[in-house]
Amino acid sequence: MAAGGEERQMLTQRLKAAVHYTVGCLCQEVEEDKDVQFSKQSIAAISEITFRQCEIFAKDLEMFARHAKRTTVTTEDVKLLARRSNSLKSEELASSHIEQKEKKKKKSSVAKGERTPGEQEAAVTENEDSNMV
Amino acid sequence: ERRSSSLQHRSALFACGQKQVNSHESWSLSPEEFEIWDRLYRIKEGDGIKEPVLPRVRFETLENLEETPKPREGAARELSLSEWSVWQNQPLPTSLVDHSDRCHLFISAMEMMELMRHQQGDCSYERELQPHLQMEDVNIPGNRRNLSRANPP
Repeated sequence: MAAGGEERQMLTQRLKAAVHYTVGCLCQEVEEDKDVQFSKQSIAAISEITFRQCEIFAKDLEMFARHAKRTTVTTEDVKLLARRSNSLKSEELASSHIEQKEKKKKKSSVAKGERTPGEQEAAVTENEDSNMV
Repeated sequence: ERRSSSLQHRSALFACGQKQVNSHESWSLSPEEFEIWDRLYRIKEGDGIKEPVLPRVRFETLENLEETPKPREGAARELSLSEWSVWQNQPLPTSLVDHSDRCHLFISAMEMMELMRHQQGDCSYERELQPHLQMEDVNIPGNRRNLSRANPP
């Protein structure tokens, strides 16, 4: 299975590169917005966290769907990901209804299972720190 | 000493389980329990200890719905999740509950940041991933990114 492993590795790198690029774009928006500078290292760290957080989200979503006796992940499962914070929950709800500002649209892409903004990840991660053991 | 006494108390509470349970069937502390709590654990004015509070969740990029009542100035000590970050690039000991995947993510991210701490400018993570980037994966509408960052000179 060495070949399979290698292929998997290539796919992982490709996905990581895409996440890294996207996180870079989002960080750039924040840079312009807040007039700050992100070092390359900080963007790399946010990317890695985002990438690994997706694994956690994926496992959770599968579990939530299975819990509801479904094999298909739906927006209901995604809402559950945001269950620990009202602000995050209402964001999910709002963005699944109305056409929003471009910025918010990016965030709603989370709900549609696309890629996730790093900063929101960071917030989630931070939020979850207290639940760590 | 406090800790061992609290453990003793706990086992004492469990040991005389049935009797204890019957003495108060409500959810609240019985007078005896209240007396113990008041005497041993309750933080009082004269203790010189500040009430521990956890930091509240605040989102920088969303509307924050949860209004947080501010505790009296100087009366509380906010528990910090970042004060000891230099300790957190390794798994800390566990007792009965193993570290979760989420926790391992956190540890490895801390480790990665530790390794990158002394890098100047150019970034090894970026160098490693650069050859793998395929632009069809990152179809971001209204992408205003300058490409110089994606393509290091």
